[in-house]
Amino acid sequence: MSSLRFARSALRARPAAFRVPLQRRGYAEAVSDKIKLSLVLPHQTIFRSTGVVQVNIPAESGEMGVLANHVPSIEQLKPGLVEIVEEGGANKKFFLSGGFAVVQPNSELSINAVEGFPLEDFSAENVRAQIAEAQKIASGSGSEQDIAEAKIELEVLETLQASLK
Amino acid sequence: MLSRAVRPAVRAGAVAVTRTAPPNAANFATLREIEGRLKSIKNIKKITNTMKVIASTRLTRAQKAMSDSRAYGQTSNTLFEQAETKALEDKKTLLVVASSDKGLCGGIHSGLSKATRRVLAEYPNSDIVVLGEKAKAQLSRSNPEAIVLSFANVCKDIPTFADAQAVADQIALLPTDYASVKIIYNKFINAQSYEPGSVEAYSEEAITQSPNFSAYEADEETLSNLREYALANSLFWAMAEGHACEISARRNAMENASKNAGEMIDKFQILYNRQRQAAITGELVEIITGAAASAE
Repeated sequence: MSSLRFARSALRARPAAFRVPLQRRGYAEAVSDKIKLSLVLPHQTIFRSTGVVQVNIPAESGEMGVLANHVPSIEQLKPGLVEIVEEGGANKKFFLSGGFAVVQPNSELSINAVEGFPLEDFSAENVRAQIAEAQKIASGSGSEQDIAEAKIELEVLETLQASLK
Repeated sequence: MLSRAVRPAVRAGAVAVTRTAPPNAANFATLREIEGRLKSIKNIKKITNTMKVIASTRLTRAQKAMSDSRAYGQTSNTLFEQAETKALEDKKTLLVVASSDKGLCGGIHSGLSKATRRVLAEYPNSDIVVLGEKAKAQLSRSNPEAIVLSFANVCKDIPTFADAQAVADQIALLPTDYASVKIIYNKFINAQSYEPGSVEAYSEEAITQSPNFSAYEADEETLSNLREYALANSLFWAMAEGHACEISARRNAMENASKNAGEMIDKFQILYNRQRQAAITGELVEIITGAAASAE
């Protein structure tokens, strides 16, 4: 599995590396094919203008991978997995509960999310238990607001369960 | 002979009565009084000192929350900086004052109210939303007609994002369409100083009309979500920073109060000792004169 993942990230890293014309590469050019990522939560700063190779984000309009020099855009995120490929192929995964990602013109990516944790910190059992609870509330006879909240919770939890597998 | 012997005794007694009795009574009263005041000042010092210690322990946490929220707010605002968004001129502005409910923290609330009045003089056509009772009391004295909404019990502890969301939600429900929301809060400079500052959250129109906005690809429907989200983000930032300022101001205020109480205690202690000594001396004089008179 890990070898597969490594192969995958290597595959992904290659096009970015090949785009640069085969000349002697100075430091400035080497920096320019990285994207500066800021991934922040209200209570924690995970990345602050850190250079990374690629970021995969779960936008409302579909999954997208962001490399350096991406077209500036504003994307609303749905609950899902953010994958960050760092220099050297290291791979970090965070589950975010939704937010906004803005690709800035100067090869910067700002992601604001309300909640987010590393994927490995989640326990599959707890997720399963909470899904059962949310399902009970969603199909129960609570107030409209409760049911709506439970449905949103269910959506987040199901995505989380899917990405945990 | 007898009359002569009696006379000095009478005179001495009369003198003793006139000299000692009233000052003596006064001396004892003031001594008691001074003792009482000394005790109460000591108690006050204990209280202010405890409050200072509590504020210092809360300050570290508040400061950490503030630096996180600052990173969060700044990241959220990068878009508007890059797009050079500006508020539209023709519509009303909404001022949100991020203060809190509790006093005993120096001039932090009145500074904020003054800043609000300054901004209000600049944009006379604006409404005010107040977070916290203190600024509400101050602003409702000067500009009662401008206040459209107020919240109590916010910014009590380190604000959570849910708090900011709840406030942003209520603001979004206001009937008037505002050109921009200006959040006035206390900007944290260091543990000793703060100054009123403001962050702006723009309306959808202002965002789409900003000069560099065409560079971005964006869906129409995400924009209204973005606007609400940005408002909540800025509010959260302002609330967290205001909270840290309040705690540090309270720490400083309580430190000064403890120092002043200490000075007063020193002064009163000296006064008390002096008075006590005077009373003792007075009593000794009485005894000696009494003894001398009876020996004669």
